[in-house]
Amino acid sequence: MERGGFLELRGVASRYGSTQVLADIDLSISKGEFVALLGSSGCGKTTLLRLLAGFISPSAGEVRVGHRDVTHLPPDKRGMALVFQSYALWPHMTAAQNIGYGLKLKGVSRTEIATRVAAMQSLLGLDGLEARKPSALSGGQRQRVALGRALAVDPEILLLDEPLSNLDARIRLTVRHELRALQKRLGITAIHVTHDREEAMVMADRIVILNAGKIAQQGTPEEVYNRPASAFVAAFMGAENVIHLDGVRDGGQFVIAEGAANAKASVPLLDRPLTSGPVEARFRPETARLLTEGEVAAVGSGITFRGEVAAVSYPGGHWRHMVRLGQTEIMADGTQAFEPGARVAVHVPAEALFLFNASANEPASTVSRTTPGKVYA
Amino acid sequence: MPRRLLGLLLVLPALAVIVLLFILPLVMSAVGAFEVEGAFGWGNFAKTFDLYTKDIVFSVVIIALSTGLIGIASIAIGGYLTLGEHPVAVAILRFLYRWPMFIPFIVVGQILRTFLAKNGMMNNTFISFGLLTPIEAQSFLDWRGIVIAFVWKQTPFVALLVAGAMASVNRDTIEAARNLGASRLRVLIEILVPQVAMTLTVGLILSFVTMMSVLSVPLMINAQSPTMLTADIAFRVNSYGDYGVANALGLVSLVLASSVAWIYLRASLKERA
Repeated sequence: MERGGFLELRGVASRYGSTQVLADIDLSISKGEFVALLGSSGCGKTTLLRLLAGFISPSAGEVRVGHRDVTHLPPDKRGMALVFQSYALWPHMTAAQNIGYGLKLKGVSRTEIATRVAAMQSLLGLDGLEARKPSALSGGQRQRVALGRALAVDPEILLLDEPLSNLDARIRLTVRHELRALQKRLGITAIHVTHDREEAMVMADRIVILNAGKIAQQGTPEEVYNRPASAFVAAFMGAENVIHLDGVRDGGQFVIAEGAANAKASVPLLDRPLTSGPVEARFRPETARLLTEGEVAAVGSGITFRGEVAAVSYPGGHWRHMVRLGQTEIMADGTQAFEPGARVAVHVPAEALFLFNASANEPASTVSRTTPGKVYA
Repeated sequence: MPRRLLGLLLVLPALAVIVLLFILPLVMSAVGAFEVEGAFGWGNFAKTFDLYTKDIVFSVVIIALSTGLIGIASIAIGGYLTLGEHPVAVAILRFLYRWPMFIPFIVVGQILRTFLAKNGMMNNTFISFGLLTPIEAQSFLDWRGIVIAFVWKQTPFVALLVAGAMASVNRDTIEAARNLGASRLRVLIEILVPQVAMTLTVGLILSFVTMMSVLSVPLMINAQSPTMLTADIAFRVNSYGDYGVANALGLVSLVLASSVAWIYLRASLKERA
């Protein structure tokens, strides 16, 4: 991580009563970067955003913007504008008044406000709606007014608190790209809180995954997706199949011992800090390949499990199978359907198999969908 | 249709109470206002405006002034309860501000009589602190006393409504304004009050109508002329048995109260449109 970023958090912690909401948050964000704070509800991501905005004070640590300590500055002295999940438009003001209010507070002249508001409206495609009250606007229009209100004051940092979660699914997809394009065009630094993995992946330069008030991992979308640092991150990024295995380090390889449902296998260690002993293996349903038992010999490096199809469904594009491996159940996708009861082999390529030492698996159990009674290796 | 009859039967007691105890007396006193020695005419009104024009104006001015002050005080209280950042001060205010609501007007009158008199508690305190010499002390038992009594008694009621409405305003709208740089005073005036304007209006109108009908306060605090219409009505009835002029005065009060209600109805219609 680069030193001396534009927005820096050092050792930030926050408590709510006796509950530790955030702990040891160290984050450095460069100018013009789009960072997504990703996490499930209650992980502290909104608290972190409100702390950045200045609505709550951290119980420890400091927040710096361009080398200026803003930790205890009031919200309006930080050069940050927040877009609320509820939009928080003022119902008694028109769209134009909403957008122009920040400028009015700054003492900008009336004609100047009118020009800037008009410019903001055409930027956001709100022309002709200036006289409407928020109650007469659609969800997407309200969202754009809220965005316009935040951008009108020309903030250095734009804070977005799940701004797309109240939009319907189809509009959300286009707004994602609009918002990202706008951010790039304005060169503004943006911090976007979301619980939607795909939204974070599509929009952000960097994803910061929070778990129980701590940063679980940060990196580019590609990094966190393909090289999750912990079982939690792997599970959060969709690798919800979990199997407990045993293995040994052997040079550049990690050799997985033969188990109840799998043959002996070996995968390249790469940079993973794995130690010999029980490991938790995770993979995504879509990376698994379903084969008939006879085809096993044909596949390359990776691991192969043997099991029986318990159920099959068609969510679209592929068939999703529930495969029973001993006492564990996993999901695996296939281009063709296997009948329930069929004996199958599930092959997971080495690069799609995430291995973690079993001690690091506590938080993962909250998101994994494995059935109770799984085998502990 | 027996079902319909049954429904009517169920409503009847309530309807009877309203008709017999409210509508009938209202109609009778309205009719009585136009009755002069057995014949109908404008005599009572001529007498009313002859004798009491000053009192009508006095009542309107006093109550309008009180309503304005109540509005300002309740916005201040509600605003502090919503935006105040000192939790202890907010808790103390929340505990204290409601008490006057539970004290009857006549007790308020009595309390303020002993407090505001020339040698009352207020002046005595000022004198003992050396802020006032005994010669400078003056009685507040006149129009100022009435205003103080009304504001003291009615502010908690309006503040209760306003604070409740302010508490239910989306906090994000307050934080959005703070985020853009609005001071707390500006948030109160430009964000919070407009969003509770309707509740504030309702509270103030109810207060206005209540104050129109208070007899004890003007009788106890302002035993001089000009005085409030209620005192005049009591005087006409008790001293002269003159129900005609009393009814006419009552009708004038009703018109004043209804005009305020009309403002409210118009505003609420406009809001819905």
